[in-house]
Amino acid sequence: MPHDPLPNLIIMTKTITLTLKVWRQKSKSEKGKFEVYKADNIDTDMSFLEMLDVVNEKLTKEGKEPIAFDHDCREGICGACGAVVNGQPHGPLDATTLCQLHMRNFKTGQTLVIEPWRAKGFPIVRDLVVDRSSFDRIMAAGGFVSVKTGSAPEANSIAVAKKNAELAMDAAQCIGCGACVAACPNASAMLFVGAKVSQLSLLPQGKIESKERVLKMVKKMDEEGFGNCSNEYECEAACPKSISVTNIARMNKEFRQAEVDS
Amino acid sequence: MLDSKIPEGPLKEKWTKHKSKIKLVNPANKRKYHVIVVGTGLAGASAAASLSELGYNVHVFCIQDSPRRAHSIAAQGGINAAKNYPNDGDSIYRLFYDTVKGGDFRSREANVYRLAEVSNCIIDQCVAQGVPFAREYSGYLDNRSFGGAQVSRTFYARGQTGQQLLLGAYSALMKEVGKGAIKLYPRTEMLDLVIADGVARGIITRNLVTGKVERFAADAVVLATGGYGNVFYLSTNAKACNVTASWRAHKKGALFANPCYTQIHPTCIPVHGDYQSKLTLMSESLRNDGRVWVPKKKGDTRQASQIPEDERDYYLERKYPSFGNLVPRDLASRNAKLVCDEGKGVGATGQAVYLDFADAIKRLGADKLKERYENLFEMYERISGVSAYKEPMMIYPAVHYTMGGLWVDYNLMSNLPGLFVIGEANFSDHGANRLGASALMQGLADGYFVLPYTIGDYLAGVKSGQTKTDLPEFAEAEKQVKEKTDRLLSIKGKKTVDEFHRELGKLVWDKCGMARNDAGLKEALKRIPEIRDEFWKNVNVPGSGTDLNQSLERAGRVADFLEFSETLVRDALHRRESCGGHFREEFQTPEGEALRDDNNFCYVGAWQFQGVGNEPTLHKEALNFEEVHLAQRNYK
Amino acid sequence: MCNLNQYFNSSIGKKQIVATTGLLLILFVVGHLAGNLIIYLGPEAFNNYAKKLAGLRPGLYFVEVGLALVFLTHILVTALLIIQNIKARPVGYRVYGDSGERSFATRLMPYTGTFLLIFIIWHLFDFTFIDKHGSRSMLMGHSYGLFGVVYNSFVDPIHSLLYILAMCCLGFHLGHGIESFAQTFGCTNLTSTPLIKRISYYSALIITVAYSSIPVYVFFSYPILK
Repeated sequence: MPHDPLPNLIIMTKTITLTLKVWRQKSKSEKGKFEVYKADNIDTDMSFLEMLDVVNEKLTKEGKEPIAFDHDCREGICGACGAVVNGQPHGPLDATTLCQLHMRNFKTGQTLVIEPWRAKGFPIVRDLVVDRSSFDRIMAAGGFVSVKTGSAPEANSIAVAKKNAELAMDAAQCIGCGACVAACPNASAMLFVGAKVSQLSLLPQGKIESKERVLKMVKKMDEEGFGNCSNEYECEAACPKSISVTNIARMNKEFRQAEVDS
Repeated sequence: MLDSKIPEGPLKEKWTKHKSKIKLVNPANKRKYHVIVVGTGLAGASAAASLSELGYNVHVFCIQDSPRRAHSIAAQGGINAAKNYPNDGDSIYRLFYDTVKGGDFRSREANVYRLAEVSNCIIDQCVAQGVPFAREYSGYLDNRSFGGAQVSRTFYARGQTGQQLLLGAYSALMKEVGKGAIKLYPRTEMLDLVIADGVARGIITRNLVTGKVERFAADAVVLATGGYGNVFYLSTNAKACNVTASWRAHKKGALFANPCYTQIHPTCIPVHGDYQSKLTLMSESLRNDGRVWVPKKKGDTRQASQIPEDERDYYLERKYPSFGNLVPRDLASRNAKLVCDEGKGVGATGQAVYLDFADAIKRLGADKLKERYENLFEMYERISGVSAYKEPMMIYPAVHYTMGGLWVDYNLMSNLPGLFVIGEANFSDHGANRLGASALMQGLADGYFVLPYTIGDYLAGVKSGQTKTDLPEFAEAEKQVKEKTDRLLSIKGKKTVDEFHRELGKLVWDKCGMARNDAGLKEALKRIPEIRDEFWKNVNVPGSGTDLNQSLERAGRVADFLEFSETLVRDALHRRESCGGHFREEFQTPEGEALRDDNNFCYVGAWQFQGVGNEPTLHKEALNFEEVHLAQRNYK
Repeated sequence: MCNLNQYFNSSIGKKQIVATTGLLLILFVVGHLAGNLIIYLGPEAFNNYAKKLAGLRPGLYFVEVGLALVFLTHILVTALLIIQNIKARPVGYRVYGDSGERSFATRLMPYTGTFLLIFIIWHLFDFTFIDKHGSRSMLMGHSYGLFGVVYNSFVDPIHSLLYILAMCCLGFHLGHGIESFAQTFGCTNLTSTPLIKRISYYSALIITVAYSSIPVYVFFSYPILK
């Protein structure tokens, strides 16, 4: 029986050459600067991160330190990756994370300026890697339903209107990548927080503690040093999951009601 | 022979009786017990949250920047439960039976029955957490069908069920972190397990940002560190998935069970270049509405739409009329390989088959399909540049899940007292092959509803607060970790870490992938030590060990894969039968189906480490089937 | 509202204060416009309206002080927000290409706001804090009161243009402001958003055109009156 080796690929592929201007910063405390690299023979079927892999392999062979960038699942769901490419978080393609952005979206000879998310709430760890633990702290402040393991009632004992379930799911798709903050002219985290507040307040299971939740999460969000929402909707445009700013509106309403009623 | 500590009594009563007899820790004392949980996927996050709710003092570690990024998040299709909401005849027994059969009769009956038993509680729990499962217009939960089952028992949240379940578990975890009940250590990698007096006492970690090596002690250590699919380099696993925590525990004495049971997922996007860093899975749920086919003629280069109906071979429907496109994963994968080996594969490489939605679009309309699979179709188009609404998808199998893992008893404790292993990291529930939508079920079952009981049984028997890190064993483990790091950094050879990983991956895929044989496995056994030796002489790890160094992280993991892969291949070589995800070419029926050898191999093969490069010792746990009649799987 | 302090300190609270004061200012702008449009009924009617308004004093002082407070709150709280926003991104991007989601009006908010502030101060000195029967009220040798002042001002094309420019700023400011109010108070959702955007756009347009019509009317009717 024949074996099944990885196919030896002899496929005619298109390649492009790019100039990369990449933000290099050794640590949070050190100053960073842009460095220029050539990316030759980039197959247009590569993903953006595979392109960075290729550059990194070359840098390593030249005895230089590779560009640090966060990434994990490489299928657009874990939310680890992300960089600002020519001024756009996750690059030019709509509703696409950096790992799912393919090089066929670029032209040969192009210069790409690659920067990390820039926000006070996201201090730089190294190169393109930022510290997004502020999001975790916001979640810890109230992004949950306080149900203990084992105390849940039978799942179908509470019906949820399909419309609300769908809206909740729309909001729940957030991958916590932080592109909304990166895109916002004010580095505001309202879309991230609004999505979680919306998801849980739309469902009867989360409605009960929705007031307390919105107050705590907003308070934490403010403490973490994110900016304010000025309704510019750049976040929605940058969001790789196209989460709607109506979730921010819903949070604004929840917040007002919570404050008035409290 | 290993003692699996399966409770006495009839299968259906084992867990209930066991729970009522289990020892309990006094609520006032629980806070005094420290538990370390490594990994924050479904199993880790759910276990940590549940243990903390019970009152234990929990410390949680993950390598990602946030617990929410664990790879459970990428599971698409759904989670099984025996709720029988569609009224189609499902029951706990049927879910149990399907799982045992799907696992090709190589799993532990009692574990599987328990899994099916608690499956319903998982759905209840997740709904209460605010997981937005798909619902019908009535407002009640919707189900869909999945491979290997003839009932609709899969709950789903669009194509992102794993994400939603993980975010639910993560929210429960963060709730406890917010209370100060859990201490969370993100970007921290476990690099060794500390054993003192034969008992798991703690771990050694490296802070991935500062490089600081630290000691953590606890009364129990829980590993929830996932599977080892990345030993193949190309897999659907996330890039950071690794065997390091499990392997280092194994090197400290924990037995590694059934490593050769690796699952190849039938519906992935085919490989397209040698720069490829990972493979992308398309949920198996696509097989509900997609029909798998290849051209009948070899080397047919016509476009799919140009091939008339009677020149297409819907080979799964032809060979397995009653299950059709919904046969279990191993069968779907192997048949794809078979037709491609025959030269009927499609696409530029000939290493792909079609998954066609044209009939489903005709039957249900494109809108219904969009509702079901919108994000999957989008993902496919983003990667391949082709719309599956217009042309059939091209798919090929890829490594996806590993059924093998650290050996655990019925209580999910390894052979080392105090070391518990849950989720994909253990070997327990799926036998030789896992059914779709069962990984999420197992991860959450272990974390929410099994470990919180069984860990209490262990802790009740030990003195609390055994958390001194000044034992000589800690010092020794820490020293070894530091030495290993220094050694990796000092080699400064010519090849990159990824080059070694690719070489190893290709070898293991070629010789120990979808089909294995004696000669190939022996060749792999010869090659692996050679690659490993070269690695330690010629790897180039740039940078230093005192800051964020992703090359160093990868180097450590690849070094472990280079040791682990040998055990994987040895296990595949020793198991002279075909079952589930382990297909030995020498052992097949005349029709090319897997041929089990129940007389000689109806056991769990658990390996004990004997030094790098040395043959490990095999321990066996006999599998006794009391409820299920051993039979050759038949999906025809 | 139990915890005013917490509300004011929160980002959303501040935004809602800006939105509320903004809404009050819009009401004022509409009322003011209604008064202004009386000019089309002729000098007598217009001056009578001005006189009636003046006759409301001292009660009117309270309204004016209130209005000033609303106005100052709107500006000061916005300033606080802007300072926070600048602090939220200490290091800027080398390249910052927005995605086109921000409307022109949105992008102009700080500039239209600042221009309006300057305009309002000028406008007060121009039309409010003056002798309404002084030299600027004289038309053809007679004092025409406030009507005369307005008329004489708008006969000057530069004066009119500045005024119209300010009204355009007002239009842009409201074009984002009205919609923004709805968003900040959570009145938007997937179905209402397009409607609210349209309402916002057209009300801003109507207000701008209506205000700007007065100098245009004056300018073109000048030769007739002369």
